[in-house]
Amino acid sequence: MLQDSGFTDVVTGEPVDTFGGAQGADKARAFQVYGYAFMASRPA
Amino acid sequence: MAQDLPVDPDELRAQVRGKYRQVAVDPGAGFHFHTGRGLASRLGYEAGPVGALPDRAVESFAGVGNPFSLRRLAPGEKVVDVGSGAGFDSFIAAGQVGHGGQVVGIDMTPEMLAKSRQTARALSLGQVQFREGFAEALPVEDGCADVVISNGVINLCADKQAVFAEILRVLRPGGRLQFADIANGRPVPAEALRDIDLWTG
Repeated sequence: MLQDSGFTDVVTGEPVDTFGGAQGADKARAFQVYGYAFMASRPA
Repeated sequence: MAQDLPVDPDELRAQVRGKYRQVAVDPGAGFHFHTGRGLASRLGYEAGPVGALPDRAVESFAGVGNPFSLRRLAPGEKVVDVGSGAGFDSFIAAGQVGHGGQVVGIDMTPEMLAKSRQTARALSLGQVQFREGFAEALPVEDGCADVVISNGVINLCADKQAVFAEILRVLRPGGRLQFADIANGRPVPAEALRDIDLWTG
């Protein structure tokens, strides 16, 4: 979606278990939900 | 409903605003997500800058990742924080860009804005300001930002393409988007996508 929106040089970080141990952990596990850092550029 | 969006944007905003009003005024209430210093540590934020912040700057933090983990901000950069909440990431950004930089945090929840503004005043951070607005209509000029940051916000917006288009407008040519958000490894059924209650809890 980032590239479709016009961004370039998209980088994705490692997954983080954002919800582990929280009330929403079971739901997150069910859909393999993790947090990620992303970086992308507006073309110069 | 606009276009082919799975949920009504205004209804979703109302639910999100209600949820994050709670996070602002009663951050220890218990939510489906982690909050505060424990979350910041879990997401890999540097201990020093987080430890230097007062509790009120950290306790309502509810991000899902670390937008600074792939690249540290440079001194003097101009930053826009989309969905700044109680200001945690804006304050971390302010420390990285220094007094020669600028951070504009934008949020739609009045209680979060009040809290972030009070904290900025208490910390005498003149390079930080907070404005009311939506991610799809950021109250800043075209091309004003070297970097746009965001944390756990875009997944709560019904029209993500509109948000990315708005961020592209705000960034200068060559500017960077550094954000953290959730992604799912298994597809969410269409029926669940249309259940607005599942978006916020």
